[in-house]
Amino acid sequence: MTILCVRFQLPPMYEASLPGLLGLLEEFTPVVEALPPDAALADLRGAERYFGRSAVELASVIRVRALAHHGVDCAIGAGPGPMLARVALRSARPGVTCVVPEGGEREFLAGRPVAVLPGVGAATARTLGEYGLDTLGRVAAAPLSTLQRLVGARTGRELHEKANGVDRGRVVPNAVSRSLAAERPFDRDELDPDRHRRALLSAAEEIGARLRAVEKVCRTLTLTVRYADRSSTTRTRTLAEPTAHSAALAKAAYGLYDALGLQRARVRALALRAEGLTPAEQASHQLTFDPADEKARRIEEVADRARAKFGPRAVMPGTLAA
Amino acid sequence: MFELEVWMPGFTHLHTVSGFSLRYGASHPERLAERASERGMDALALTDRDSVAGAVRFAKACARVGVRPLFGAELAVAETEAVPSARRRGPVRGGAFVDESAPRVTFLARDGARGWGALCRIVSAAHAGDAPSPRLTWKDNHGDGLVVLLGTDSEVGRALAAGRPDRAAKLLARWREVYGDALRLEAVWHGREGTGPGSLRLAARTVGFAAEQGVRPVLGNAVRYADPGAGPVADVLDAARRLVPIDPRRELDSGEAWLKGPDAMLAVAERVVEAAGFRREAALRLLEQTQATAAECLVDPEDDLGMGTVHFPEPHLVGAGRRTAQRALASRAAAGMVLKGYAGRRAYWERMHHELDIIAHHGFASYFLTVAQVVDDVRAMGVRVAARGSGAGSLVNHLLGIAHADPIEHRLLMERFLSKERVVLPDIDIDVESARRLEVYRAIFDRFGAERVATVAMPETYRVRHAIRDVGAALSMDPAEIDRIAKSFPHIRARDARAALDELPELRQLAADREKYGRLWELVEALDALPRGVAMHPCGVLLSDASLLRRTPVMPTSGEGFPMAQFDKDDVEDLGLLKLDVLGVRMQSAMAHAVAEVERATGERIDLDAVPEGDPATYGLIRSTETLGCFQIESPGQRDLVGRLQPADFHDLVVDISLFRPGPVAADMVRPFIEARHGRAPVRYPHPDLEGPLKETYGVVVFHEQIIDIVDIMTGCGRGEADRVRRGLSDAESQARIRIWFAQRAAANGYDAETIRRTWEIVEAFGSYGFCKAHAVAFAVPTYQSAWLKAHHPAAFYAGLLTHDPGMYPKRLLLADARRRGVPVLPLDVNKSGVAHRIELVSEKGGVWGLRLALSDVHNISEAEAARIADGQPYASLLDFWERARPSRPLAGRLAQVGALDAFGANRRDLQLHLTELHRGARSGGGGQLPLAGGRKTAPAGLPDLSAAERLSAELGVLSMDASRNLMDDHREFLRELGVVSARRLREARHGETVLVAGAKAATQTPPIRSGKRVIFSTLDDGTGLVDLAFFDDSHDACAHTVFHSWLLLVRGVVQRRGPRSLSVVGSAAWNLAELLEVRREEGLDGVAARLARPPAGDDGAAPADGDGPARARLAGADGRPAPAGSAARDPMEDRRIRMSTGYEMHPWADLRPAGEGPAVGRKLWHQSPGSAG
Repeated sequence: MTILCVRFQLPPMYEASLPGLLGLLEEFTPVVEALPPDAALADLRGAERYFGRSAVELASVIRVRALAHHGVDCAIGAGPGPMLARVALRSARPGVTCVVPEGGEREFLAGRPVAVLPGVGAATARTLGEYGLDTLGRVAAAPLSTLQRLVGARTGRELHEKANGVDRGRVVPNAVSRSLAAERPFDRDELDPDRHRRALLSAAEEIGARLRAVEKVCRTLTLTVRYADRSSTTRTRTLAEPTAHSAALAKAAYGLYDALGLQRARVRALALRAEGLTPAEQASHQLTFDPADEKARRIEEVADRARAKFGPRAVMPGTLAA
Repeated sequence: MFELEVWMPGFTHLHTVSGFSLRYGASHPERLAERASERGMDALALTDRDSVAGAVRFAKACARVGVRPLFGAELAVAETEAVPSARRRGPVRGGAFVDESAPRVTFLARDGARGWGALCRIVSAAHAGDAPSPRLTWKDNHGDGLVVLLGTDSEVGRALAAGRPDRAAKLLARWREVYGDALRLEAVWHGREGTGPGSLRLAARTVGFAAEQGVRPVLGNAVRYADPGAGPVADVLDAARRLVPIDPRRELDSGEAWLKGPDAMLAVAERVVEAAGFRREAALRLLEQTQATAAECLVDPEDDLGMGTVHFPEPHLVGAGRRTAQRALASRAAAGMVLKGYAGRRAYWERMHHELDIIAHHGFASYFLTVAQVVDDVRAMGVRVAARGSGAGSLVNHLLGIAHADPIEHRLLMERFLSKERVVLPDIDIDVESARRLEVYRAIFDRFGAERVATVAMPETYRVRHAIRDVGAALSMDPAEIDRIAKSFPHIRARDARAALDELPELRQLAADREKYGRLWELVEALDALPRGVAMHPCGVLLSDASLLRRTPVMPTSGEGFPMAQFDKDDVEDLGLLKLDVLGVRMQSAMAHAVAEVERATGERIDLDAVPEGDPATYGLIRSTETLGCFQIESPGQRDLVGRLQPADFHDLVVDISLFRPGPVAADMVRPFIEARHGRAPVRYPHPDLEGPLKETYGVVVFHEQIIDIVDIMTGCGRGEADRVRRGLSDAESQARIRIWFAQRAAANGYDAETIRRTWEIVEAFGSYGFCKAHAVAFAVPTYQSAWLKAHHPAAFYAGLLTHDPGMYPKRLLLADARRRGVPVLPLDVNKSGVAHRIELVSEKGGVWGLRLALSDVHNISEAEAARIADGQPYASLLDFWERARPSRPLAGRLAQVGALDAFGANRRDLQLHLTELHRGARSGGGGQLPLAGGRKTAPAGLPDLSAAERLSAELGVLSMDASRNLMDDHREFLRELGVVSARRLREARHGETVLVAGAKAATQTPPIRSGKRVIFSTLDDGTGLVDLAFFDDSHDACAHTVFHSWLLLVRGVVQRRGPRSLSVVGSAAWNLAELLEVRREEGLDGVAARLARPPAGDDGAAPADGDGPARARLAGADGRPAPAGSAARDPMEDRRIRMSTGYEMHPWADLRPAGEGPAVGRKLWHQSPGSAG
């Protein structure tokens, strides 16, 4: 009962505030693992002794502080291990901390659907469901060999353990990895590739500027296209080198978009997400002999300064100015 | 200086499209003709895209308003040099753009029949290619008697728009080579900017270019709609055609493409010639040229299109050899006399000669021989065939083997079918097995040759649901919301959308926020009845002589590739093309399958056409009203009527079928007939002379034939004339004339005034209602045959029904019926099930036959897969099955779910796991160990087996049927808690008792009824039987939405009883039972109580004696249910015979397929076309 899983209820454009919130947790324990985009695990084993309160009590303190300092509410799950804490979080609401009792893990899990387990995605859940193993109780009752036949040897073993309440995981402190996202909705079904590209360019500009503001670079870029029927397509690309350079991001976004070959698809929104953020000073940059690249970067620097001074719309690409 | 002539040349639009340009033209051809006349134009061309389908309506409308019609078509023409289009990447979502890049050119027919023939040929040629859309290749691009307009969308026009007169000249030369003097350049000004189509600069360039090249220019307006202001409708049509939303930031329709009058066009001409640098007077020259071109295009609808003349196949093709058709017909008829054993009977000879006279009078002998030829061919293929319609009244048809029933024995009249007095094409319809209909078509094509045969088109027009979907998509509305709105409407006309919102209680919720949807409703109504697609008519086949393709263009049908004439069924009659209706009747297929099954399983050969007449078991079954699945008598109303009528012989069946029509119901013929039949009322005749025709129906007029006889007897005018009189009765105006004529003639024949008055009352009340007896006799034959099968070979009968699914009810209901009638339903088993449903001996000594479910009912099974599984039987083990039957992984999974693999041991989930591993093993190259080789039984893997509820849901999902038990069985307990009366117990309920009933909805209708009110009829199935429900106006507010949109229902109502076998429940409140079950499960009985306490549950219906009590009681019965349903409910040609006529007020919203999705069959069937936008 010493691990907490905290999910902050963040307003949109949230990434920037997550590091601060993690800082809040770090006041209790150094063992904090960020679960982007909006949650974190905290190991309170030491803290319980230090503060003389139980983890559940500390959970209330954390909530109060999050509200007082950041104006952000949160829901908290508690359990003996990180996996159990995460499962508990699913049943928690702000103000109601859900706790997995030590020794009662199996019973706690038995009635829950398999999809609550971290690491069990839609595909695995569907597979298990097809075979009637829709609750963790049934999974726990199924022979290990059968589970392994269903989902593979390793996953099967892990699943078997997890369903039986064996939580071997631990909280691994990590830096705020994190991601940044920008979405461009359209007010009607938009088919025009030019407008799509403009939306992508503007999203890439925004992400670039925000990355540079926090001095980060990103390794992968994800494009999500949302359609009128509420379905979506997602494509991810790993960049040749981590970057925060808007032009490079835009180019990657165009590449992702062009690969979809959309024609009549009724696009309602385009979203870009930059993932795998690392500090900018650790990024390597392949130098080229082409001065254009160098120039573009310097212009960007200047533009960033201008924007810092005169507001975000002070400098922008010509196609977006219309 | 000299005076300008004050003379105006007038104007003719040479380039006008109607709604028959699919999803392009926004006006009906009739409207265009009317507007042309109103705006003072003497002629108008109709040049639809890729089609002349509107030509006949257009010609008729033009004749009405005094405008000369010109005929033409606008065709896509292949580009001179194919531009190598850059291969685009296949879109991951939403499909590719619709390719509309081909240039378009307008062709007009001139020179009479030659021009029309050339137009037909060139339109057919455009459709013949492999291109995804019709496109005329340069090779086919020629034709005598055609005028060609090269407009803004032609290659020449495009070159000019691009500022390339040099290229335009080069392109023009090619056209000139082919068409020479018949070439025109068309200038169009729609007030657009720039140099594109519709711009002033392009129009001016066109006129200038024409002068330079010495080609005559004409002025056009590329008309898309009749009236100004329809631009937004055109935008919606564009969006629907291109399958994209309207983008208001792009160039929309100019709003100028309407049928402008001569003055407006003169103004256009002036602007154009001025812009081209000519003097203003040149405008008159431009109009003159246009008029001169119009004058050249002379095609007469009568002489040149062949309207009003008839073309039969050449006699030598129909077995006449070198004799005349009439001689051949006479000798075949005489041979039939001998063959059928009538040779010694004078009456038959006389009737035959009389009929032959009539046929010779019209010269229709070839027609009879043609039909006989088709019927012979069909029979030779071993396909069940039967004639239907008034043709059964002709002895010649009987002698030729076209019609089964002996018309003299059944007192059927030739005159109802064909007489000297009536000049119309005779109409013989033949029914064949639906499953083999296309085979029959192919046989007809083989017999007469593709140049004489074509199928008939059937335009699919916009009704409200499609209109909402297309407009909604064009306006970028949320697809889920579009779907919801569309489904909440009943299947009504699009133009009634707003009226329905105002009036229908089930739309009240939607009506409340109608404003939210802005222009949606207006645009939906504007699309009303515009064709949105064209399909093959399900039964019409054109038969003509070798000139067919000169009189109608044909296009290949999408599925089968049959040549299809572009005209619809009414048009082809006007064009004098002989149409034979070959209806695919599912019941015939079902019976053929049943007979085949009996023969396969027992070796017993049944000749259905020779089953003994008057079989007591069969009539016993019919009288018991358990007629589910029987042809024509299975609908709720029919079951009620059969219960009251208690048919005892074939004639009673004929009467029963005739009575169950809107006409007899409206004329209140049902009650007097039933009263008289059961001896509760005396039989009365207006005059003893009329006893002859009226005796068979106890003095009540039921048949057309009786009216013909009555009029003939009273006036002595002859039956041919009498039939004409009968037809005149439906029209109020001619009815008045007939009344005077009838009185005079009857008085002259010595009948007294009282008799005349009473007889006229009958004749008048009857109007044109009634039913053609010949038709009813033709119907009653399969009715009796199917009931006979149900009585004597029930298992085979259900096997046939389930295989060919002929009825109005979902299959699961037939299965429930089978279970109730003691036919064991055997589960699907890969070792025993066939492709189709089969019968199987269950117990030797009882001789009980069971029904084995079919592989073909498994969701998504392909024909090849089913056949492979059936061919490989038996299978020793799961592995054996997997390797030899090679089912796809999902299919094998579905089979396991419903227990088809249970024979291989292990539980159903374990089987799934084994299948998955077999699948994986197969994918990884067949290597690796197979975990279950060796043993025949499959080893268990320890997975939990399907629970009973899961099994049922798997059956519903996979087979769409609750195969192992009734789905209502699971809810028994809750229903007991509620005190719901089962269908079986309901039979003992008292009249007037208030009861609760529940069940799965099997059918819902809102048929037209006598009172002119709208009544919702619904049938529930609760496993013990059927409950028929009626909801009247006053309960609609509370119930309509629930009844239409839920498929498990709980209903409170009052029992209405009109006889031991006639029973229904008048509903006063309805709940969605599925929802209540959910509440029961989650919140317990208190939750249910809370739900029931909520308002929209209607007020207490325990007081039926409120004012119109008796009226309701009557309405709830057969009187109120004249639905044209029954086993043939799905035959689209059926309702052709039911005509609403004067004096019969129909509720405006009656007789429509109601809102919602109809009875659910377990799995939600939903479609998403691969090209539908994201």
